[in-house]
Amino acid sequence: MEFSNVASQLNAWVIMPEGVVILTLLSVLLIDLIVGRTSVRWTPYVAIAGLTASLGALWLQWDPADPIAFLGGFSGDTLSTLFRGIIALSSIVTILMSITYVERTGTALGEFLIILLTATVGGMFLSGANELVMIFVALETLSISSYLLTGYMKRDPRSNEAALKYLLIGASSSAIWLYGASLLYGLSGGETRLTAIAANLAENADVPPLGLIVALVFVVAGIAFKISAVPFHQWTPDVYEGSPTPVVAFLSVGSKAAGFALAVRLLAAAFPLVSEQWHFVFTALAILSMVLGNVVALAQTSMKRMLAYSSIGQAGFVLIGLLSNSVDGYASMLFYLLIYLFMNLGGFTCVILFSLRTGTDEISEYSGLYQKDPLLTLAFSICLLSLGGIPPLAGFFGKIYLFWVGWQAGLYPLVLVGLITSVISIYYYIRVVKMMVVKEPQEMSVAIKNYPKIQWTLPGMRPLQVGLVLTMVATTLSGILANPLFTLANNAVVKTEMLQATLKSPEATETARAIAPPVATTPPDPQG
Amino acid sequence: MNLSEGVQLVSFGILTFLMLGAALGVVLSPSVVYSAFLLGLTFSSMAGLYLLLNADFVAAAQILVYVGAVNVLILFGVMLVNKRQDYRKETGLLLRQLLTAVVCFGLFALLGAVTVITPWQIAEGVTRVDSSVIALAKHLFSDYLLPFEVASVLLLMAMIGAIVLARRDLLMEDPETGMPAETELALPERPRETVVSE
Amino acid sequence: MELNYFLLVAAALFCIGIYGLVTSRNAIRVLMSIELMLNAVNLNLMAFSNFLDPDDIRGQVFSVFVITIAAAEAAVGLAIVLAIYRNRDTVDMEQFNLLKW
Repeated sequence: MEFSNVASQLNAWVIMPEGVVILTLLSVLLIDLIVGRTSVRWTPYVAIAGLTASLGALWLQWDPADPIAFLGGFSGDTLSTLFRGIIALSSIVTILMSITYVERTGTALGEFLIILLTATVGGMFLSGANELVMIFVALETLSISSYLLTGYMKRDPRSNEAALKYLLIGASSSAIWLYGASLLYGLSGGETRLTAIAANLAENADVPPLGLIVALVFVVAGIAFKISAVPFHQWTPDVYEGSPTPVVAFLSVGSKAAGFALAVRLLAAAFPLVSEQWHFVFTALAILSMVLGNVVALAQTSMKRMLAYSSIGQAGFVLIGLLSNSVDGYASMLFYLLIYLFMNLGGFTCVILFSLRTGTDEISEYSGLYQKDPLLTLAFSICLLSLGGIPPLAGFFGKIYLFWVGWQAGLYPLVLVGLITSVISIYYYIRVVKMMVVKEPQEMSVAIKNYPKIQWTLPGMRPLQVGLVLTMVATTLSGILANPLFTLANNAVVKTEMLQATLKSPEATETARAIAPPVATTPPDPQG
Repeated sequence: MNLSEGVQLVSFGILTFLMLGAALGVVLSPSVVYSAFLLGLTFSSMAGLYLLLNADFVAAAQILVYVGAVNVLILFGVMLVNKRQDYRKETGLLLRQLLTAVVCFGLFALLGAVTVITPWQIAEGVTRVDSSVIALAKHLFSDYLLPFEVASVLLLMAMIGAIVLARRDLLMEDPETGMPAETELALPERPRETVVSE
Repeated sequence: MELNYFLLVAAALFCIGIYGLVTSRNAIRVLMSIELMLNAVNLNLMAFSNFLDPDDIRGQVFSVFVITIAAAEAAVGLAIVLAIYRNRDTVDMEQFNLLKW
């Protein structure tokens, strides 16, 4: 086995977007080391520029001729490209909102950026990982950096506690995931590439063996933890409340999108044999998430906790698209994630701005905000109403699309639960909006009465303003001009070979055989 | 049964006994210091099992990384947070432990059943790799190159992050009182009322 | 020697790990239990690698990665435990209840 021979097979340019992010990470690290603390005035913009360049690289690589890189370890197909774009974009908006926040708490911004960029790299690799080892390494890169970000405010007991809970639950769920992965490795007779696993399983068993179902359950536990679906959600409210708010924003969008990418790839590529079983499991998870997330959100008094439960509910809605198992199903899921990116990050930007000005995130303290800060009220209202699915905002179209697809696929109970719970969710979103626009001055909360004068010229406020306006405009426009996003999501699914192979033939065993040939790469000859 | 198989079987028995016994000690022993040392025994006997499975390199890595690094790290952790305290009695703790034990035993039964009834595709007549080190290196530089590189990014970040979290900061002091400023390194949001009253 | 022996031992170790994870009150002991679970996974991988995949030993590669990352996870975990010990002066899991609704 000649080295040059291997190098040409690697097809390494597929990971160029991730390479750009890693280079950015290293340069931020070196600049921070060499220049010292004064560099924090411009390192965030270096990071944003790097992520934007990475987005550009993703754009250039849309639908490559040969998406399989690193001998089957990574796939740069359109599905993963779109997911990687979502993660990089969420990271950009997160950096915009974190500059002032982190500065205000007195922690070092340089290290924060480095860990956040590593989390982004992990998420991006996870979206395209096509092999068990790669999935594990990428998953842990994302998870470990998330634990560190959660505990970043290290003098605050809430932050410590959130980090400890997140780490213990996360590490045990990844250990359980690994046990499932090791069973997959054994059941397939020693394969780690997802397509090879599916092919081998289909060849050797007509009836799914019990071991495969156990492996499925274990693997699902790991995935459900990442997308925080009930009953693997217990960490979510605690972590969301105790973490720095920009981190929460990233976890609720970037990390969750990576979890969905993992779910699509792993379930569609490795488990076609037990397709019925995983549909059953995920239907249960979706219904539980929608009901519990949206009902418990009603009782919350802290804004961050409310958004945590709302994000659990939103994960349930997105699962409808995954379960529909059609081109439209996957497209609706991607479409909703794109919209969710803007509206949720917009919401968190508003929460950050409010807590920086008043030092609280109690829902009751928001009452009367309209009198003092109309722009913030407008942006927050738009984002919340969009999350609730009020026409003509983006969230409405996203939800309608998901429910329509689900109905077409015959998932009637799921869609009905979705409709009922989204009505419930409208209630708690509107409650906040109503509170903000109360007219009477005597109903104004203490925090609002002492509301500081709005000064965008303070150092570090500009990026926050840019992020606020950007997400607000995107949330509004993507509702009215949804077509380009819709086409993008649809294209991403149609052009992905892996999904096409799964969707074409309904027969599970046939599917597994059908996917294997086009993506099978030549493994290196071990004998050399 | 020839001699070498007999030796293997006996050493398998001894190692398993040591490992499972030590693992039970880790979770059941009342003192966390004993747990930490028993954990080292578990890791070492695990390395012995790897040798039985023809994995010399991984056995060495197990000793170096697990016993040499992780276990020592955990011992340091135990030392640094070494505060003798009796845990407050919680009601229903015994019941919870019992229930957990039953559930874990059920899980073991399930996993054991899966192990026994699954027809594993045992490879027979395949040429075994001569040297696992060479085979591993070939994998790490061909089809597992990407995870190898990503792991290096992960380790760099874990190092930076662990240092940031664990080091003692010289807090900026309030010039008037000389006390460390309260707001440093904490969330800007106020804790909720319920928390304050506790 | 049979594959099943090793798999049964791994399953037993995994269940011991889960028991420790759920019942331990000391945060450091919970971390140890997670290490036990990861070791069980490693034993599984090594056993499969030896009996099913002796010509390609992918399982050994996998467990090398698991060992690497488990070490990183332990380091980060202990850093977090240290941080919380400084602020709360305890590592009792039952006392970490600031965040409850």
